[in-house]
Amino acid sequence: MVKKVVSSLGGLLLLFPAMAFASEPTPTSVLLGVNLLWVMVAAILVILMQGGFILLEAGSTRMKNAGHVAGKTIFTVGLGSLIYWAVGYGIAFGENGNLFIGLGDFFYTPSMTITDDVVPSSLFWVFQCAFAVISLSIAWGGFAERAKLSSYLIFTIVFVGFIYPVVAHWIWGGGFLAEDGAQDFAGSTVVHLSGAMAALAATILLKPRIGKYNKDGSANQILGHNQVFTALAVLLLWVGWFGFNAGSALGVDDGFFGFVAFNTQLGAAAGAVAAMLITWIVLGKADITTMLNGALAGLVAITASCAFVDPWAAVVIGLVAGVFVFFSMKFFEKMKIDDPIFALSVHGAAGVLGTLANGLFATPELVAYNGVGKAGLFYGGGWEQLWVQFLSVVVCGAFVFIVSFIVLAIIKSVMGFRVSEEQEIIGLDLSEHGAYGYPEQMKKGTNLNA
Amino acid sequence: MRDSAREKLLNRIGSADGYPELRRLRDQAHERMESLLSSMPVEQFYTAINEIHDALIRRVLILTESDMARQGNGSPPVPYAYLLFGSGGREEQTLSSDQDSGIVYEDPPQEEELEQVRDYFAKYGELTVENLQKVGYPPCEGNVISSNRLWCDSLSAWKSKLDGWFDRAEFEEVRYLLIVADGRRVYGEESLFTSYKDHFFSDTLAKPRIVKRMLDNTMRHKVLLGLFGQLLKEQYGEQAGSVDIKYGAYIPMVNAIRMMAIQSGVRSTSTLQRIEELEAAGAVTEEQSSALQDAFRSFLRFRLMTMKQDEDGLYSSNGMLSRQKLDKTLTEQLKQGLRVGKRLQRSVSRRVTGKLR
Repeated sequence: MVKKVVSSLGGLLLLFPAMAFASEPTPTSVLLGVNLLWVMVAAILVILMQGGFILLEAGSTRMKNAGHVAGKTIFTVGLGSLIYWAVGYGIAFGENGNLFIGLGDFFYTPSMTITDDVVPSSLFWVFQCAFAVISLSIAWGGFAERAKLSSYLIFTIVFVGFIYPVVAHWIWGGGFLAEDGAQDFAGSTVVHLSGAMAALAATILLKPRIGKYNKDGSANQILGHNQVFTALAVLLLWVGWFGFNAGSALGVDDGFFGFVAFNTQLGAAAGAVAAMLITWIVLGKADITTMLNGALAGLVAITASCAFVDPWAAVVIGLVAGVFVFFSMKFFEKMKIDDPIFALSVHGAAGVLGTLANGLFATPELVAYNGVGKAGLFYGGGWEQLWVQFLSVVVCGAFVFIVSFIVLAIIKSVMGFRVSEEQEIIGLDLSEHGAYGYPEQMKKGTNLNA
Repeated sequence: MRDSAREKLLNRIGSADGYPELRRLRDQAHERMESLLSSMPVEQFYTAINEIHDALIRRVLILTESDMARQGNGSPPVPYAYLLFGSGGREEQTLSSDQDSGIVYEDPPQEEELEQVRDYFAKYGELTVENLQKVGYPPCEGNVISSNRLWCDSLSAWKSKLDGWFDRAEFEEVRYLLIVADGRRVYGEESLFTSYKDHFFSDTLAKPRIVKRMLDNTMRHKVLLGLFGQLLKEQYGEQAGSVDIKYGAYIPMVNAIRMMAIQSGVRSTSTLQRIEELEAAGAVTEEQSSALQDAFRSFLRFRLMTMKQDEDGLYSSNGMLSRQKLDKTLTEQLKQGLRVGKRLQRSVSRRVTGKLR
């Protein structure tokens, strides 16, 4: 037995000679290592959430677009990562910035190892990049089933290179909203509202899908082709969200990440339950799609507040988000805004709700612990924090919407934003990529243009 | 329509000698009835319109008999009865109604003749359905129709068929049995029909299992009233915002009352009459009976408001009441009726399962 241990240690030393010279592990260095490991795991979880978006978007749309919808997510995650490395990160967190924009650290080269007992810049970048491309994938909800592939390419560059990093800088990178004390723990505003506002600009410019509205203004239901995908998507996102929220604690040594995870679970659960019940009550039938969106809305809403509120408030926030998302879906439909993946309601409406919730429910203890902003209205903090939260929503929302709208309007007028009617009817799988995601099932579909 | 005018029209229908003429008379009748729609009490209206339908169908049957003879098939070899099911059976046809029908004929005295008799009625059924289409009655989508061999049979065959349905009691068979419960003779031999119905009623009550299955089938359509008493409207499509009167108000109530009628051995087929007889039999109180009748009358009226389309010259309705027609008063009235309907569904459900225990 002893022999075995000695020989395997010898083998390890041969493979990793540095092990022999490393300084003795101290409790501090072990803790740091565990912290970093958790951030890495969290980053991986957030990147895995893209799998959720692939299933969500594909499941909520029609078969003829499935390959395109799924494939373009991977493509834009790739492109977005490169852009974030080249430009985006420097604008969000660059060292030579001001209150409005960060500068420096373009084509970022991180330090090789830890310098001063904080998250190494390489790991921080991976984590932040994962968030940036999540916001991007949310925006695609507004593009679904009718935007040209080329518009995805160009918008990825602008969104990840400029729009998203600016908002991230304002709230997380020492910008003016950070100075004001805006609380957005893991990104209800930065990630979700930003994505949703870009989706809103896109869906307004693209106009509704063919067949969504009748001449008399009534809406048709365009059902997604696979509800099982959509449900699995929600589960993937739900699990990934622990990386998103609890990962944003950036460590484990104080155990606070557990509290964040705790609130996250409650928010998601309450959202799912509330949404199912509200459709049951209002429509007489319990609607699966709305319930799934309710779970996501609960997650989006609790994202800003998970580190700032008590568990009971997390439940309230989730419940309200679940009900709110249902009425929001109805509202956008009535406004003739076709939102195939319900991004506007799930990420936009719930993102606003979650950010504002801090202004009501943030407790003095948790605010002190996090060191950001003040307590909420219900905890004697007065209206101040609510106002700051409101301001951050309005400013960030307006900024993203306006810039996205301008960029997409330029795309629309210069090279065209929407595919032709024929292409839309045949499906983007064929028109943009030349092959169906479901070749066997879609064979008949080739006659659609006849 | 004043009685004398109606008599005159009915007489003209009774002596019409071709399908185009019947079609014209039907159109005339419809025009008159439509103008009376708002002023006439709803029951009277339904009675009048069903009298006209019955007269038209009878005339088509007589003309078809002569068509058969002219084509060399002779006259009916044995007595028969022509049955109406569905809304026709319940005397609740609107201006637009499809054909739900069946034929029961006497067993021929000689076994050998059966083939020939069967052939005659198969042809006769088919021809009748065709001719009724000429007068503007679309065939039944569910294929409950006299041209379907399943619904055109001799009395003894019918009896064994009913026995089989009672025995198997799968979804489809239960549906058939509930359809038979609404059957009414519109033409032909009354005694044949009585014997047919006797068979149905003697078997129904003896088998608790079938009653439970009937209940499940009967409760399939829910009253369109939400938890907070709000109307549940169509969410999508051209009909968004309208209320499905047929399947969300009228049919649930028809079904529930039919269920009670079957259980109490009440044989009439019209829903209002069933309610009255249920009251007489002590199955519902006088107060309940009048609430049920009021609710059902309002549904009948709403149902009349759903008609408009005229596809390929055939009268039909999708049973939807559009949001434009639903003003505040009508919405309140509809909700009031639906509340009665919902209570009824609940009490029938309790009553039936309670009796079974």
